[in-house]
Amino acid sequence: MSGGSSSRLSRKRPSGRKALLATLMLLVAVASAFPLVWMVLSSLKTPAESMQVPPVWIPHTPSLDAYEKVSGVVNVGRSMWNSLVIATITTAGILSTSMMAGYAFAKYHFPAKSLLFSLLIATMFLPPIVTLIPLYRLVGSIGLNASLAGIIVPNLANAFGIFLMRQFIAGVPDDLIDAARMDGASELLILFKIVAPSVAPAIAALALFAFVYHWNSYLWPLTVLQGNADAYPIVISLSRLLSYNRGAVNTGLVMAGATLAVLPPLILFVLLQRFFVDSIVGSAIKG
Amino acid sequence: MIQRYRASAGIMLAPAVTLIGIFILLPMLLTVWLSFQDWSTQTPFSSASFIGLDNFREIFGASSVGRDFKGALTNTAIYTALSVILILPLSVAFGLMVYQHDVAGGTALRTVLFSTYMVPMIAVALVWSKLYSPSEGPLNQMLGLIGIGPQPFLSSPRSALVSIVLLNVWQQMGYFTVLAIAGLTQIPGSLYEAAKLDGANRLEQFRFITLPLMRRTLLFSAVIAIINAVQVFEPVALITQGGPVGSTNVLTYHIRRVGIERAQGGLGSAMAVMLMLSLIVVVCALFALANRKDQE
Repeated sequence: MSGGSSSRLSRKRPSGRKALLATLMLLVAVASAFPLVWMVLSSLKTPAESMQVPPVWIPHTPSLDAYEKVSGVVNVGRSMWNSLVIATITTAGILSTSMMAGYAFAKYHFPAKSLLFSLLIATMFLPPIVTLIPLYRLVGSIGLNASLAGIIVPNLANAFGIFLMRQFIAGVPDDLIDAARMDGASELLILFKIVAPSVAPAIAALALFAFVYHWNSYLWPLTVLQGNADAYPIVISLSRLLSYNRGAVNTGLVMAGATLAVLPPLILFVLLQRFFVDSIVGSAIKG
Repeated sequence: MIQRYRASAGIMLAPAVTLIGIFILLPMLLTVWLSFQDWSTQTPFSSASFIGLDNFREIFGASSVGRDFKGALTNTAIYTALSVILILPLSVAFGLMVYQHDVAGGTALRTVLFSTYMVPMIAVALVWSKLYSPSEGPLNQMLGLIGIGPQPFLSSPRSALVSIVLLNVWQQMGYFTVLAIAGLTQIPGSLYEAAKLDGANRLEQFRFITLPLMRRTLLFSAVIAIINAVQVFEPVALITQGGPVGSTNVLTYHIRRVGIERAQGGLGSAMAVMLMLSLIVVVCALFALANRKDQE
């Protein structure tokens, strides 16, 4: 259990224990990967194959028909574009507001600083449903309901981003900042030209977290859009696939839609997983 | 100089503080205020009228409103407890699998586990609704292979809530495993070396070193797991709509149905306040428990 590679106990009788451990790890990996592998395989089956009992695990003649059919049921192109707009603009907003506030909390002294920080951090632990009802009315009363802006604007700042940025910016040497001030650089210039590059991995991690979170987000878009299908992100369009032609016939269709929605966040993750993991570890330890 | 930075601090903080103030803190205060009002969500806030504790009396009363809310509160409590009970031990077990160096493949396992956390909950719900399908679903087919009869999963009031817990645990395990790994890396290797010299076996090392030193991590994981668990929405909204027989009617789903779909903003807000209070009580109790253990 210790993780020491030169452990005496594992040297004495290594084979049985190692085999057991390897088997367990394989089982966990298979159980974890299975639903997604099955999703992709099912999206490539023909309707007849989807209904076969006992089930066909691997499609004999993989076909992309289901993907074509999804586009006939929901507007995939439009929904993917909406999701991209929502996730990109929200992420850009979160990055700017978090870097600015994080810098202020890390490098300035001002009255009631720790009180303000605690108040902001407390919102991190607030489940969104607690504020949903008045927020829905509030956003409606400023004329943003049923639009992409209504999804985006309330999410342009969050406590997690501020917390993460403060943790990492606090580690940037004061000398670096003071030297730039001597040269007459403005504070915003210092933040974006000097501080930002030295916390680039944390910024990348926050960008990915924000993008994936808002690509996947469902409760708020569903509530604020009030059925305006033109503004549906992909996850809402996807939710309508299930009610279309209920039963086994639509399994391929539903799995094709799910695969499409899963791809962008999953590709981002595979490319940049190091940053995700590091920042979770960082926020947990330093928190 | 000081004056100049005070102005800068204001400029740097203004966007975040304004946005969080308007879109999180103000709505939170409004929720508390609305819980004492008779108010329809389709009317302006100004049309609310004060009714004291009537909303709270109703959601805890004997009427159908009270029965539904108490049912949702119970379902959420069961759901949350089951999630935490499953997530914490599994996260430590999986964390140890990834963190050990005896067998290669730990990092690959971490990648596989964490990838499910990137999948939108809607896609998870869609895929699992098919996996759970009683007749042609692969889970029952696999259970059949090892001699277990078909399970009703989402279609029976006895198993529906547990089935939703399982799909959520599947999705979130990667995140909690990474948290557990973060905790494991904090334990100094010298402690294990010393224990080995004293003749402690692996089980004793785990019991007397790993577990006690993981307490802070596990506390953090438990708090996050609780806050995630009360937010479960997609599988319920998409697959079960709270059924069968109300068995998956959880608070996030129920509060949205009352407060948004039925536009009973006052009642919905009272329910949201009760959710917030319950969370505060549970999290404080957890911290108190952890502190008492620390003093022992």
